[in-house]
Parts: sequence; C-alpha cells; structure tokens
Amino acid sequence: MTDQIREQMSALLDGELARDEVSLLVRRMSRDAELKRAFGSYVTAGESLRTPGGLLASAGFAARVSAAIDAEAGATAAPMAEPPAEVRVAHRWRRPMAAAAVAASAALAAVLLVRPDGTSPNVFAARSGAPTVAPVLALPVGGASPTPAANQRLAGYLMAHGQYASPIGRRNVWSNALAADPGIARVTYESAEAR
Amino acid sequence: MMLPMANFPPSDGSTEPHELRDDSGRPGSAAEQSDLELVRRVQRGERGAFDLLVLRYQHKVVKLVARLLRDPAEAEDVAQEAFVKAYRAIGSFRGDSAFYTWLYRIAVNTARNTMASRQRRPLDYEAELSESEQSVVESRMRHGDTPEAAALTEEIHRTVNGAIEALPEDLRTAIVLREVEGLSYEEIAEAMDCPVGTVRSRIFRAREAIDRSLKPLLD
Repeated sequence: MTDQIREQMSALLDGELARDEVSLLVRRMSRDAELKRAFGSYVTAGESLRTPGGLLASAGFAARVSAAIDAEAGATAAPMAEPPAEVRVAHRWRRPMAAAAVAASAALAAVLLVRPDGTSPNVFAARSGAPTVAPVLALPVGGASPTPAANQRLAGYLMAHGQYASPIGRRNVWSNALAADPGIARVTYESAEAR
Repeated sequence: MMLPMANFPPSDGSTEPHELRDDSGRPGSAAEQSDLELVRRVQRGERGAFDLLVLRYQHKVVKLVARLLRDPAEAEDVAQEAFVKAYRAIGSFRGDSAFYTWLYRIAVNTARNTMASRQRRPLDYEAELSESEQSVVESRMRHGDTPEAAALTEEIHRTVNGAIEALPEDLRTAIVLREVEGLSYEEIAEAMDCPVGTVRSRIFRAREAIDRSLKPLLD
C-alpha cells in the first residue's frame, strides 16, 4: 500500500498522475510527514541530477517556509480564490445600491410627510376620485405650513443623507425644501392642475 | 513593480536563451497541469498542497534568488519571503501563466526589493552572465554559506551520483531520461520499448533507491 502511494507521488512529481487520483494523494501527503519528506527527497535528487554541484536549498528550508506561513495571522484560513468577475461586480454595486434605496425611501417619505401646503397626501386621491391610498403613505401632517422646527429637521436630514441619495431623489427633496420656504412664491400641484 | 515574464535568468545556471522551463524541462507539460491542480487545491483550502509546491520549487527559487542577490547567505531568507508572499497571493492566481512563471516573478520582485532596501545595485536580471562571472557566482553559492551547509550540499551531490551509478541499467536509463532529458513517460516508453506502466515503476524504484541513500543526510 505504501509503495503504491509513493509510486503515485513519484508520478505526481512528473505530472503523470491521473487527475482523479490527485485529491486523495494530496490529502494523504498533507497528513503524512514521511510522504512529504520522501517527496522532498525525490525533488532534491532530480535537482542534483540536472545541475551537478549546483546550489540546493537546505534540508529544513521547506519546513521553515511552512512554519512561517502557519505563524502568519490567518494562516489557518487558506487564501481562497477570488470570486468570478460577475460576482465581484455584483458585490461592488450592492452597497451603494442599498444605500441609494434607503435614501430614496427616506426622500419619498419626506416628500409625502412634509408637504409644502400642509395638506395630507390622500387629498390628491380624494379630489381626483380615485380610491384612497394605503394609510401607510397617507399619514396626516398637522399645521398649515412647515414650522421652522420642521424645516430645520428637513435640512438636517438633507445634510446627513444627501450624499447617499440619487441625483433625482436629491433634486425632489430640495424642490420641496425650496417650496416650503415662505419667501419663495410657490405653485402647488392643485393650483397648477386647476389652470 | 511588475517584471516582464520571459526574461529571467535560467535558474539552472545555464546561459541558454531565457525560455522558462519546468521540472520536466519542457514548457506547457503535464507537470504544469499538475502544478495547476495543486494550486486549485490550495485555493480551495488544502493548505498541505502548498507545501508540495514549496518542496517542488525550493531549489529553483533559492538558486534564482542567490544569483540575483549575489549573496547566497541571504538567499534562503529572501526565497522564504517569496514563498510566503506567493501563499498570501495565491487566491488571485488565475492560471493565465504557468505557476512557476508566477512564482519566479514574485521571487525576482522580492529579491529586487531586498536589494533596493539595502541600497545595493541588483544584478541586471536581463543580462547574461559571462562564463567567468557565472563561475564566480556559482562558486560563491556553493561556498558562501556555512562550511557545514556547503559540505552537506557536496555530500548530497556525491550521494545522488553514487546511487545513480549503483542502479540497474533499466532504472538508471529511465530516471536519467526523465530527470535530465525531461522526457514524458510516453516518450520514455517509446525510447525503452516498454509499457508506460513499466516506465512509471522504474522511475519510482530509482527514486526510492536514491532516497534510501539520501535519507540519512536529509533527516
């Protein structure tokens, strides 16, 4: 049995071992110090034959390399192959897309909750005769116009999250903020529709 | 800094054109496929497979680094660093080039970094060494280490030669055709007019005989 394994090892060194035999052999060799030693001996003999009198690595060299790798942090977790390109692309886009989605949701909520004319969003539906929208989007907002405190909160929100929002989302929210400013003449959706 | 792939000095000390060769002496051989198989296993988490790659290329990398540094006493430290770097980076190895090409590139870069950090002029790796320079460097390689290490290297060469001489002719022919001439099993079978399985067995038995002689030295 040992001879058979060592013969396989010799064939492996020459690249002549069948691929389906490699896996088991490598596992055996990983666990068996004597097999590793013999493999190193085969290599050394071949090197000596090819370059008589040439420089050879010292007997303990491979063991020192192995120890150095083990000593490195994370040596227990072997370096895995990088994922395929398409997976890497997906990962690269996942985080900013998630951030953009969160920012867009927040921007939508801000538009619906902080209306410049102080009306509840479901007024649109009621006036147009369409069914009332789901209550989760139709939260009533008190007050006829945004209070200074509300504007301050909105400005804080824009400062904190503007960098993650898409340009369209940013523009919509800023439009709302500008419209909410009493100093700027505004044209409401309803008045524009009535014209 | 990345280096061109095809201009390394031959690690066997020859002054032949710089075509990269693997253990079999022929580029793109089955040995290359075997390397790739081992690399894939390392990438899948089989740490032991990397030890086999180190064992396989230890002499070539040490020899290459020693030539670049012109300081054989440092060669093993730098070669070790190169292997550790290779292990760290092996996850990114995609097999576009042969493993030994990739490994040699890391070794050359590591040697160059070592030289740069010590403000010494590195050997131009693209330049050929003259025969006399080659002889000096080889001599320093053999004798630049401790006297014990140099003596051990000499003893290994003597032992291998002695073991080869003592082999039956069919085993000696098979191992020489394989290791020195770099023939595949199939080519050896044709040359020796015997089945491939017999070639495999003869090479193995030759290696075992040499190993029995070498073992006391390498332990």
